[in-house]
Amino acid sequence: MTGHPANGLDDTVHQRVRLGILTIAHEAVRVEFSYLRSNLELTAGNLSQHLGVLESAGLITIEKGYAGKRARTWVTLTKAGQAALAEEITQLKRLISQIERAGTPPQEPS
Amino acid sequence: MTTEAAHPGDEPQRLLSTTRELAQRVRKQQRATWFPLLVLAALAFASIPVRRYSGHHLDCLAVPGGRVCRAYSDADFVYWPIALVLAYVVIAAFYIRRSRARGIGTRVRPYAIAGIIAVVALTGVALWELHSPSAGQNLMGLAGWPYRLASPGAAIGLALLVLAWAERNRALLLLTLAYIAAVLVPITFGPVGHNPPWYSLPLALQGTVLLLGGIGFALAQRPLRSRAP
Repeated sequence: MTGHPANGLDDTVHQRVRLGILTIAHEAVRVEFSYLRSNLELTAGNLSQHLGVLESAGLITIEKGYAGKRARTWVTLTKAGQAALAEEITQLKRLISQIERAGTPPQEPS
Repeated sequence: MTTEAAHPGDEPQRLLSTTRELAQRVRKQQRATWFPLLVLAALAFASIPVRRYSGHHLDCLAVPGGRVCRAYSDADFVYWPIALVLAYVVIAAFYIRRSRARGIGTRVRPYAIAGIIAVVALTGVALWELHSPSAGQNLMGLAGWPYRLASPGAAIGLALLVLAWAERNRALLLLTLAYIAAVLVPITFGPVGHNPPWYSLPLALQGTVLLLGGIGFALAQRPLRSRAP
């Protein structure tokens, strides 16, 4: 990626909640809807919207099923999702590094 | 693409630190290190009477300054392979059940598979060493470590290394390295006799390391378990 690091940020991933979903999914084989909702402190409707955005972008897959009699929704990170998360982290680090370099006051000669 | 108002948390530093904190929190919630350690400690202690009361053998070699002996039990090639494979199945089932209850999957499969492969491979090596005249002629010091590596204790240690990687658990990594050191360090006992009382000392030592580690992790992970849904 060339130019300013901010240009490398993907709007789909560069969002607090969606980055949180991808981060949790990255740490697990798969994660349940209720776990995401409680850990990210979201309403079911809000979480569903964000999951829809990520699924449309091909970054996660959503699987519905049953555990006993209880309906469950499982979220799994795709390879594209893993790559997008890694790219986002890289770009964030680059951006922070650039901000820090720009904000460093020039050193006075001793 | 979506267009949304910027959230204060979208500042790069805060976004990155929040992401790291979230990943750390999820990892801690996934850990159940105490369970495999306590199961394996139970196996180590249970093996003591099994070894004691099953047929056992003592192969001694004359070396300058005395004799070096290798003790083994018939149970080593029956009890440990069966017990360890069952233990890994139980541990994997425990993690899977826990994952379902909590709603977050844990990467336990590599641990169970590594454990079972280690058991099969090391049991094969131990059998080969038993029937190979050249094996085990210098059991003490550095030259003897391959023999000590082909033991149930080392199989447990290798599988714990995989668990430390799967759980990204540095504390478990340190404990595992200490445990492997306890397995690989040669223990000398002086004069030997038939069915010596020190026969089970290495197993007791390994079991104690696992037990203390299991208790330590159970206490450390207790708040997380009680907060879990």
